[in-house]
Amino acid sequence: MLEMVLTTGIVHLTVGNIVMWLIAFSFIYLAINKNYEPLLLVPIGFGILIVNLPLTCLMKEGEGLIWIFYHYGLEWEVIPPLIFLGLGALTDFGPMIANPKTLILGAGAQFGVYVAFFGALILGFKIPEACSIGIIGGADGPTTIYTTVHLAPHLLGATAVAAYSYMSLVPIIQPPIMRLLTTKKERKIKMKQLRHVSKKEKILFPLLTVMVICLIVPASAPLMAMFMLGNLFKECGVVKRLSDAAANELMNIVTILLGVSVGATMQAEHFLKPRVIFIFLMGLVAFAFSTAAGIALAKFMNLFSKEKINPLIGSAGVSAVPMAARVSQLEGAKADPTNYLLMHAMGPNVAGTIGTVVAAGVFLALAG
Amino acid sequence: MVDWSLAIKIFVFGLSAVFISLGILIAAIYGFGTVLGKKKKQNN
Repeated sequence: MLEMVLTTGIVHLTVGNIVMWLIAFSFIYLAINKNYEPLLLVPIGFGILIVNLPLTCLMKEGEGLIWIFYHYGLEWEVIPPLIFLGLGALTDFGPMIANPKTLILGAGAQFGVYVAFFGALILGFKIPEACSIGIIGGADGPTTIYTTVHLAPHLLGATAVAAYSYMSLVPIIQPPIMRLLTTKKERKIKMKQLRHVSKKEKILFPLLTVMVICLIVPASAPLMAMFMLGNLFKECGVVKRLSDAAANELMNIVTILLGVSVGATMQAEHFLKPRVIFIFLMGLVAFAFSTAAGIALAKFMNLFSKEKINPLIGSAGVSAVPMAARVSQLEGAKADPTNYLLMHAMGPNVAGTIGTVVAAGVFLALAG
Repeated sequence: MVDWSLAIKIFVFGLSAVFISLGILIAAIYGFGTVLGKKKKQNN
């Protein structure tokens, strides 16, 4: 009888397991009731729950089902590039091509990545760990995961969840910073309507970008190449089936595997440590500084530019596509309901994704 | 013990790479836009 009881998970439960269940339930609750990044928080929450059921061995090296997803999907660097393939097939670079100077805002918004990087070093993290924490400021989940798996795989659960949590909290985190750093007059600036972008330009863009970025930062190639391939599928117009598959079926499958695998890295004995609080704190710092730097850079550009930029679009440089651009639109509309900033903000928004991949490439090249 | 010289190198290289690569992209987009625009005018 005793032997039979010992084979059940109940007697092996720890307080840590129960705390992780609560975290799992809160993720699932936030996803279902508050609609916070549901596509990721549901599988992540479920992954956390099942991996904290004792004796299930789902993450047992070489045997566990989810360990197999994790090992071949994440450690073998398959899933994040495939997510980027899907993102490329979903992204319209038109607004950015129409107003290329908004690319600078996407670069400026990477500043927070380095603030958090130094913050993490000061808190006692090693350089590869600090790189993984810093990249949270790019607000790009797959890039955060890709960087962390390479540089600090033991931090994967914390960095991935921090990145996705802050991405879903963009409408709460960014507006106070945006209002603090801009005047009402600046928020009312109306920008010139964007020009039409030809099909040729849209086809040339992914080819040109993959060459430029991969020549400068070769370590960013897996993500950048897949991102631009997906975009080429979309823009060339002759491989609709591939474009649809990348943006829908493939994207959905890898999202499930990614979410469950990330959640499954959060076993109580690995996750419930004081360092995780620092990671979340530094992630927030990174996010706030990236938002502020994007706005400050837009204001700086206005000192020299004839055509004024509404500084609210600077905050969209933190990636988090398209949520950050929507926040710029909403804040602009609050100051002047006739002001439409959404398409203008999409420029820095997608440029931010490219900028974060470049920053990650440098981290991988120098700290890997 | 943190290797601060490597940390500074990562910061300088990283931020420079971001600005340089996006700067080149801006120049290339303007360049191609001008060439394509001229070609379109000639065809018309």
